Amino acid sequence: MTKKRTVAVGIVATLIISLMAAIAPAHAARDLKGSQCGREGLVRTIKGVTYTCERVSGKLQYAEGRKLSGTLNVLCTPQELWCVEMTKAFQEKTGITTKFIRLSSGESLTRLIASKGNPEFDVWTGGPNDSHISGRIQGVLDTYKSPTRNMLKAQFKDSDGYWTGIYMGALGFCSNKNELKRLGLKAPTSWNDLLNPKYKGNIMMAHPGTSGTAYTTLWSQVLRLGSEDAAIDYMKELNKNILSYTRSGAGPTGPLGRGEIATGLVFSHDCTAAILRGNPLVVSFPKEGTGFEIGGIALVKGAKNPDAAKAYIDFALSAEAQNIGPAKAESFQILTNPSARYDRRMVNLKKVTLLNYEAEAAGVAAAKLKARFDKEVALTSSAK
Amino acid sequence: MALKKSGSKYDIFTKIALVLVVAIIFFLIVLPLINILIFSTQPTGSVIVRNALSDEVTRQILWNTMKMGLSVAFLGTLLGFLMAYTQARVDFKGKKILHIINLIPIISPPFAFATAIIVLFGRSGIITRGIFDWRPTLYGYPGLVLVLSLSFFPIAYMNLLGMLRSLDPALDEAGSSLGANKLRVFRTVTLPLLIPGFAGSFLLLFIESIADLANPLIIGGSYTVLASRAYMAINGDYDIPMAAGYSFLLLLPALLVFLVQRYWAQRKNVVSVTGKPSGRSTPVTSPIARFFLLSVTFLLTTLILMVYATVLLGAFVRIIGVENSFTLEHFRFLLGGFANAAVKTTTILALIATPLAGIFGMLIAWLVIRKVRRGGEALDFLGMLGIAVPGTVIGIGYAITYNDPVKVAGVTIFPQVAGGAAILGGAIAIVMVYVIRSSPAGQRSGISLLQQIDPSIEEASASLGAAGGRTFRLVTLPLISGAFLSGLMYAFAHSMTTLSPIIFLVTPDISILTQKILAEADQGRYGNVFALCCMLIVLIMIIGGLINLLVRRFQVSTDRPLVTGR
Repeated sequence: MTKKRTVAVGIVATLIISLMAAIAPAHAARDLKGSQCGREGLVRTIKGVTYTCERVSGKLQYAEGRKLSGTLNVLCTPQELWCVEMTKAFQEKTGITTKFIRLSSGESLTRLIASKGNPEFDVWTGGPNDSHISGRIQGVLDTYKSPTRNMLKAQFKDSDGYWTGIYMGALGFCSNKNELKRLGLKAPTSWNDLLNPKYKGNIMMAHPGTSGTAYTTLWSQVLRLGSEDAAIDYMKELNKNILSYTRSGAGPTGPLGRGEIATGLVFSHDCTAAILRGNPLVVSFPKEGTGFEIGGIALVKGAKNPDAAKAYIDFALSAEAQNIGPAKAESFQILTNPSARYDRRMVNLKKVTLLNYEAEAAGVAAAKLKARFDKEVALTSSAK
Repeated sequence: MALKKSGSKYDIFTKIALVLVVAIIFFLIVLPLINILIFSTQPTGSVIVRNALSDEVTRQILWNTMKMGLSVAFLGTLLGFLMAYTQARVDFKGKKILHIINLIPIISPPFAFATAIIVLFGRSGIITRGIFDWRPTLYGYPGLVLVLSLSFFPIAYMNLLGMLRSLDPALDEAGSSLGANKLRVFRTVTLPLLIPGFAGSFLLLFIESIADLANPLIIGGSYTVLASRAYMAINGDYDIPMAAGYSFLLLLPALLVFLVQRYWAQRKNVVSVTGKPSGRSTPVTSPIARFFLLSVTFLLTTLILMVYATVLLGAFVRIIGVENSFTLEHFRFLLGGFANAAVKTTTILALIATPLAGIFGMLIAWLVIRKVRRGGEALDFLGMLGIAVPGTVIGIGYAITYNDPVKVAGVTIFPQVAGGAAILGGAIAIVMVYVIRSSPAGQRSGISLLQQIDPSIEEASASLGAAGGRTFRLVTLPLISGAFLSGLMYAFAHSMTTLSPIIFLVTPDISILTQKILAEADQGRYGNVFALCCMLIVLIMIIGGLINLLVRRFQVSTDRPLVTGR
């Protein structure tokens, strides 16, 4: 009898304990909002909730956490390798399935406009911020002010929150050492050097229509010469020496590497990357001052996964994410997060004269100025 | 002399086929086109169209496009004909190898030819500078014509070879037994019989070349053509109406050439009896002719081999021509995660589209030549729209049309199939594009071949009691199986290598190989470009070879003699 009783007690006890366990409230994940964190801008996912570390009244603490789910679709403009690494890193950190496609800035904007009624992307990362300004004008972007933006200099963020800067690049001259020698030239150090007849058919740059790099070149002339008319005149002169216009900003590095041309107008970080791949190139900057780009990141209006998009933006602004560029993605843009590591291969901005590049004015003037370029500079050359 | 159409009324099979074909054409090309045309009537678009001839810039672009198209069509057809004639009528060793080499350019991925030509013959070319110390500028018209002719001549080659082999040698023999010498026979018998083939090839090559976008982007330089201008309008000016305006202008030359071809081909309509030759045609023996033909063949073949050697080498050295150390870094990079998904996805989608495109093309050809009396020309033209309209425009058209469900009066008649938020992540739209872009080639060669075949064979089948569908399957298809097979091969190769519409249809879920190649070419990373091209070519060869084997088992043997003389 005792044995049966013991068994019966055992069964009942098990049932009661299971019942209690089932109806007992689940052990809630502790909400970390407000608790202390170690580094400003750091993004962490703890028990499925993603937090960003922000500075509030001098104190470092976690901002409101987000429970992320679903898929994140990223529209990525910089080099594909960078896109691959960033996507991988975010996915590993948060566990969210992250996908991307890479399109140049002009194509990205068109794609966003075309899918305005049913947005297919959640966040647009990279590309010069004047295209994000155009995006704001076209009504395809939404505002988001990341807690991390407080770390950034004023020039790296939009006051309304439509875009935030994740990197910066300086426009420069990228020259083939052997070709320079053959032509008896030294690496150009002035915009006017490029007008030298010896460069005829020996220069390449991208087309301002598709390439953010080339538009930066164009707008730089407006800034340094004082007016759009003067800029167009300079480009007309330069056009005489240009062999052809490529589609993408870094496009000239191919022909440059092979020695088909002497000089290309590219962002210095693209030239550096090409040099590291074994091309015999050298970087130089114009003494009159040069333009630069601020790579922007923005939230897409009507994003299907806005929470994940915001977490991604926070992540992209963090030092940890920005360090991926030089470390794993052969990208040597200057980074906007002050805690990010400065890599020796990045341009030393102290040695470069930068023009006061007003992205807002550049973005607003973009459509008309590019049309003028087409009509008066690029297409006339084929009409000859 | 109009061709007699068989059948006095449409049977069930024909009716169903007709409805199906029209519906497919409507959704796959007409609807996106209508949307594009609607956009072109908006201000920035209509301005382009109205001032097409008066505005200096637009007129220049129009002229550039026509000049390039006509040059490529002419040169490509000429090369294709010379190679086909040599293959069919000259005895020499190594025919099979030559045949394969002639077909390789079809499976050439975008940028492969252009980049290889630049590396070999450009300003810093291995041949031009390395050996001759020339620095020719290939960017622009010369490079474009060279690259496009090399890329597209196989289409003319296949077309004309198929026709040459179907010519009845009895006609040649009749001519020579009447006292004509070989040259005269060639001039008055062979050439006229080939006119549909010439016309068809010329047309296809013209349209393919003016619609091409990849090559003008890389090797076009400042030579702006309509396709690259439309592309710039979308990507640079974010102006869809303007791009639509340019594409409207692009349709006009295509339409014009198409109509000219039809008029010309119909004036000299010669039916060569049954389509099945009896006995062998006599080979060319004149030493002058042999020397001429074989030298041209040799030169062209060498050129093609050099290009592909460059692609192969370029994939395995760091920077070809600059730093020639052997390396596997390109492949390691690509297969280490950069291109894996793209390889799988592109191949699967192309395989799905290939049989669909092949059958569709044959169906249209059959309907146009045999069944549809009134409106046959319209159907033919609509079927060709897939390649007459530039790829960029199709891509935009699809994005506009299929990024949302298609609704008529609030009722959804077609679901959303494009864009990341669509069914299957946008794969359907891409397959649709593949099908409509590759069926015209099969349609064209099917029509050329069917025009050569006397309808009396099919009438015989019908009079023996076979329904339309049975006749199509058991009589027509085997007769045009050559065209069907070439249609399949072309569809697969073309789908794997098409670029321009895809730029607008790639989604995070669907990545396509050609888009990856573009990304690398953009950055000037030619090592990766060549490595990706190698991978593409190998894929196409393997799978193309399998398709070839599969279809050959069902082909009618070509050495049984059939009725001749009429």
